[in-house]
Amino acid sequence: MHKGVKIGIGAAIILLIIAALYIFYTFNPEMQPLFPKCPFLLATGYECPGCGSQRAIHSLLHFNVGAALRYNAFMVLALPYIFLGIYQEYLGGKKRHPKIGKFFFGRWSAIAILLIIVAFWVGRNLI
Amino acid sequence: MNRYFYIDAEGKQKGTFSPEELRQEGIKRDTLVWTQGMEQWKRAEETDELRFLFSGTYNSPPQVTVESSATIPQPMPKTWLVESILVTILPFMFCSSVLSLLGIIGIIYAAQVESFYNRGDYAASLESSRSAAKWTKIAMWIAIGWVLLLIIAVVLVFVFVGSFAGVSDLLNT
Repeated sequence: MHKGVKIGIGAAIILLIIAALYIFYTFNPEMQPLFPKCPFLLATGYECPGCGSQRAIHSLLHFNVGAALRYNAFMVLALPYIFLGIYQEYLGGKKRHPKIGKFFFGRWSAIAILLIIVAFWVGRNLI
Repeated sequence: MNRYFYIDAEGKQKGTFSPEELRQEGIKRDTLVWTQGMEQWKRAEETDELRFLFSGTYNSPPQVTVESSATIPQPMPKTWLVESILVTILPFMFCSSVLSLLGIIGIIYAAQVESFYNRGDYAASLESSRSAAKWTKIAMWIAIGWVLLLIIAVVLVFVFVGSFAGVSDLLNT
């Protein structure tokens, strides 16, 4: 890929993230009707593994970690992992820490994550 | 010129072929051949009439490429594991769990890349890598489009509510 195209895509993604963060900071997803609703929750009445993550992000941006954990503990705990993944893949972490990449983003960790998601999914609807 | 039988890779006897046809059949140096007058099966390179098939100038191109791809170790194809994990987790944030299903398909293919590669099946590994890339990219573009749509919707409502408030302000004064 061209270097210019890469920089352009990067800039667009950063702009998107800033816009999303601004929206999540300013509006409370609980009060505003315009935030997207979970189709799974609407259809079945059960929460999906991601339900509450928008409220969790809103709470996190207001430094309310406890509320964020209550809304969606999985997503809050997954955030550092997501950042690690982005660092590994796009910000040169792969070359600097190849072992970390192999451990956290190998075959078995992928399977572990799928299992965690399913466990969280079942667990949150039972409790 | 004699016509030859040969034993193919699966152990089946085939024939008869002229030496030139044998080359088109893709026989190798160690392929066993037989023709009238021979006491027993012989390796093709030990047969006087077929030796020319394996001298440098007559080496058939496909055979050469097969050999080179088998001997030169290839780097593992991109696994797409990181990307597919990301597109599985991230869509949950925007209430689009359907995308996560695409991401899971991506993860399954991505995990296969490594195991096929470790088993030495480079072609299958490459195939899995391509499939993983395909599903991950589909999920990623839908996600980007979805987020863009959300932002546009939020901005539109914001502008609408803002102008509505302005109108009601005007009416009140």
